[in-house]
This record gives sequence, structure tokens and C-alpha cells, in this order.
Amino acid sequence: MKFAGYVIGGYSVAGAPFLLYWLRLNARIRHAERLDRDA
Amino acid sequence: MTLLNPRVAKVLGFATLGSLVVLALFGLWLAPPDAVQSDAQRLMYLHVPSAWIAYLAFGVTALSSALYLWRRTRSPVWDRLAGASAELGVLFTGMTLLMGSLWGRPVWGVWWAWDARLVTTAVLFFLYVGYLALRRVPAPIDARAKRCAIAALIAFVDVPIVHFSVDWWRTLHQQATVFTPSLNAHIHGVMAFTLWWGVLAFTLLYIFLLDKRYRLETLEEDLDAKELAQAIEERVAGAGTTAPPEQVEVGPGR
Repeated sequence: MKFAGYVIGGYSVAGAPFLLYWLRLNARIRHAERLDRDA
Repeated sequence: MTLLNPRVAKVLGFATLGSLVVLALFGLWLAPPDAVQSDAQRLMYLHVPSAWIAYLAFGVTALSSALYLWRRTRSPVWDRLAGASAELGVLFTGMTLLMGSLWGRPVWGVWWAWDARLVTTAVLFFLYVGYLALRRVPAPIDARAKRCAIAALIAFVDVPIVHFSVDWWRTLHQQATVFTPSLNAHIHGVMAFTLWWGVLAFTLLYIFLLDKRYRLETLEEDLDAKELAQAIEERVAGAGTTAPPEQVEVGPGR
């Protein structure tokens, strides 16, 4: 398979930002909820 | 506070994950390699759906902004939805540029070309990064929402320019494969199925993330309002107990 490793790497590169964004979003929601409860 | 019922959001999360796994299986393995581009073409199953979902996200931002500007439908809901969708649009546009660049290296021989489609897409990316920056400029909520709604509508003008750039100018980027002027798609069989599955998976991902981003937008707005109310309360309470500031005469000599 020509470029197979390259393409699999490309799929991983595509998945990483979405995963990081989702994790960051969850962390920000939890932080905001905590502040909201304390306010 | 949220767009979706929590139970629906949970089901949507699992459906999104499942559809992305199926997309990876088809994109990397079950769809045949392209006769000319070989396996490099598999990157198109991510590049094309992310471009379409970016259009959708910016479309939602433009529509929500118009609904905010129209007095009859004005509501903070539209402003929040516009902001949440624009951020996702930037994410999907970034993905489009990244996947396009990764595909361009083996097929075109370059990571980047000063081609009309590529440049207008990069402009789209930076227009909405500017829009997101504008949302962070401190201002009363209504003033901020109005100026951002106008900016979003101006930025949206670039979306049709991006789409038709391959028809209006002679570009290195290929012309439309699916939405051709005659609507005669140039992709068939398992390859077409994988492409459409990619569109479905990315649409689910967009809705899933939009719901979460909208919730964050609402929470942050509520917190800002509470902080403002608390600051006013402290100022009012402080004004009653402290002495007035010393008066300073300002004359022509100063």
C-alpha cells in the first residue's frame, strides 16, 4: 500500500485536535460550573 | 442551558464515536485505493466532509446573527449559538487546511500553493479567528452581540467565494466532485458511501460539540453577569461608608 503509513498518520493528526478540543471543553465546563456554584 | 436533552446528548456522543470508528474503517481499509492517487486519496474522506461542515457551521453563525439583528427574533440564544458555531467552524476549517496540505504533498508535490481555493479558505479561517477575537473584546452584552452579528454576516460573504473559486479562477485545486453544475457526481460505489458516511459522522460530531460549546457560552455569560452584579453591589456598599475622593483643581497651568 503506497502512502499507507502516511495516511494512517494523517487520520491520527486529524483526530488529535478534536480530542484535545473536546477534553478542553469539558474541563472549561467543569471549571465554570464550579465557579457558578461558588458565586 | 443546553441545546439538547442530556439523555439525547449522551446517545449522540456514542453515535458520534461509533460513526467515526466506522469512517476510519472504511476510509483506511474498506474503500479501494484511487487508481491515480493511490492511498493518499483516503485523506479526502476527512478533508471534504470537514470543509462542508465548516460551511454548515458558518451558515449557522450567519443565520443566528441575522436572527439576533432582527428585532422580532432578538434573543441572547442566537448570539450564543453564533459564537459556539463559529468556534467549531474555525476548528473544521483548520482541519480542512491541514488535511488538504497533507494530501497535497504526495499528490501535488507541495504542502501549500498560492491557489484561489487555498487562499480563500485561509482567508475564511482568519476572518472567523478575528470574529472570535471580537467576541472577547469587553463590552455590554447587547453591544458586543450586535457588532459580532454584523461581523459574522460580513465574514460569511467569503463562503460562496471559497465554494465557487474553482469555477471562477483557473486553480490547481480540482473542481467540484459531488456538487457539479449538472449535479452529476464523479464518485461512486464504496468511495461515494465512505464520503457520505464521513459527512454524517462529522455532522454528528459538529452537533455534539455545538451542544457542549453552547453550554459553556451560557455558563460564562451567567458568571460574567453575577460578577458584574457583585461588583456593583460592592461599589454601592463602599460608597456609603468611605469619604469622597479629594478634589483636585485642574487649571490652565497644569
